[in-house]
Amino acid sequence: MGLPNGRPILTGRSSGWLACLAVLCLFLPGCGLLIDAVEQVWPVTGNRVDAICTRERVQVGLAMEPFRPFVFPAIWTDEGARVTGLDVELVRAMTDELSRRCGRQVSPVLHLVRFRDLFRLLNEGQLDWFVSAVATNIPAPDRAGVAYSIPYFYDGGIGGIAKNREVIDRVQANLRDQAIHPYADRLSGRSDALDGVTIAVQEDTSAHHYAEVNLSASRLIVCDSLPAAFEYADSQAHPPIDVILGAHPVLEYMVKRVRKDWSLLARDNGTPLFFTKGHYAVALAEESYRLRWLVNDLLLNLDESGRLDDMRKRWIDEEYAFPRRASLEGLPFDVEKMAAHYVQGTCRIKPGN
Amino acid sequence: MTGHMVFTLLATVLLMTAQPLTVGAVERAEAEETARLLAKLLESGRMVIDRNQALIDDPHKGEKGFTPELFEEQLRQEFRMRTGIDLTALPKAPVSITIPPLAKELLPVLVQASREVIRDAQVVINQRGLGYKNFIPATYGSQASARFSKSVPLRLKQTAIEPRNPKNEPDEYEASVLRWLAGRPRAEAYVSELTEGGRTLRVVMPLYYAKDCLSCHGEPKGDLDISGYPREGHKEGDLAGAITVTAPLSGQ
Repeated sequence: MGLPNGRPILTGRSSGWLACLAVLCLFLPGCGLLIDAVEQVWPVTGNRVDAICTRERVQVGLAMEPFRPFVFPAIWTDEGARVTGLDVELVRAMTDELSRRCGRQVSPVLHLVRFRDLFRLLNEGQLDWFVSAVATNIPAPDRAGVAYSIPYFYDGGIGGIAKNREVIDRVQANLRDQAIHPYADRLSGRSDALDGVTIAVQEDTSAHHYAEVNLSASRLIVCDSLPAAFEYADSQAHPPIDVILGAHPVLEYMVKRVRKDWSLLARDNGTPLFFTKGHYAVALAEESYRLRWLVNDLLLNLDESGRLDDMRKRWIDEEYAFPRRASLEGLPFDVEKMAAHYVQGTCRIKPGN
Repeated sequence: MTGHMVFTLLATVLLMTAQPLTVGAVERAEAEETARLLAKLLESGRMVIDRNQALIDDPHKGEKGFTPELFEEQLRQEFRMRTGIDLTALPKAPVSITIPPLAKELLPVLVQASREVIRDAQVVINQRGLGYKNFIPATYGSQASARFSKSVPLRLKQTAIEPRNPKNEPDEYEASVLRWLAGRPRAEAYVSELTEGGRTLRVVMPLYYAKDCLSCHGEPKGDLDISGYPREGHKEGDLAGAITVTAPLSGQ
């Protein structure tokens, strides 16, 4: 082997170096350096877009724990089991856009799995993306390797609901007191409003991460799902849940339509109490550079065409019965994968809390 | 059209015996009895779902134990009660006018299709914290008949004059029979007719509203029911729709 001028490419010395490099390369994949380095030169994983077009299917994750109105509980229809909600409509709209880009019909394959498993499946490459009212701005160590699209929903954030009037009054009294004597640390100020109350959160959600870091003076109950938190609260178990923390739009939907016996925590003037604000976005693997650009563009198109706004109005503001929407526009999912491990779950008091 | 209609199995048998027993007549009789039994089996399945509705919609219970096996057991009991036929003994049952060979072949296919519907619905049925799951006799019936019809040359279908599911919209023949049935008092009868110059047998078995159906289909008319559909304002005993079977005949 040689160059046209006759000089050899591999000398005995340089081939030794290359051999060393080759051995070194064997150790690189484990730390991700090789993948990252190659990605810069030749976006191997970026080819996921081509792969989606070629296989004519996009693997999409959704939380099986309901986050109404983003993801409703799976329901039976004349066509079989279906899931519906704002996030499901988003998946459908994105897939339609994707089909146009690919020049062929791309179908969404929905994986309804536990919320906490969505991150793992994404990292394992089993999902192209997932949606489920996921906030982009939550500092959480276990979300490494996850990247987010541009937001599709802007009014998210963490809020709270309570059933007991005394608890609501107590939180408001704390907030009033803070208004008179403002904290230098606003973060502490907001979290101190919940001092001494027992709080329930769904495991691995933004509310859980917030509570772990900021609510050391409250008793924490960790639940597998929001319905499990309601069930625990209804069961009169001890200690009783005073406040459920969670995604504000989800809690707002619940207290307005499903659990009217609960109320949103609010300030004296009626404005809702947010512990943090958040925008919801599509979660993708960090290294899926091309796919991330594509998803951003799909969402931008939906935003500019007014479709995103229509979706928000349809699911947040309108009166509707979700079983009918599930029948008319719901998406199917892989029933066999879900059936084995679907449970609403339970609640546990956080040890040492 | 009424001149072409034959009511009750007895009438059909009488008609057959009055004619020379040709191959075509035998084929028709076999297809008709098979169709009747298939419709009865689907109706039995709907009844089993109806009877277990409270369990299915129990929001406090996770695993309900309403398995495909349990469903099949109850389905066999219900079908036996309605027809006197024991499905477990079907493979060894002698061929007769009451259990024609075609029925021996197709009834187990519908049982299997029904089992598959119940199996796939487990994920919905076993949800805790959710009451109404839309797993009702009608949705079971739509799915079971669709699955069944995919695997055999017969077509089994649920239909109504104004169905909630557009896929259950009646064809011209079904619509005419349904309109005719709606104007008559409730009867345990079915309609059987040869169409397309004797190449197709159509069997229509009417379904009537029971008390349990009225929470969704009754009064006040126009108000949305739990599933989000406007109530139709029906009364107990009104015609709800029909189970129809379309069977191609060889025409010999």
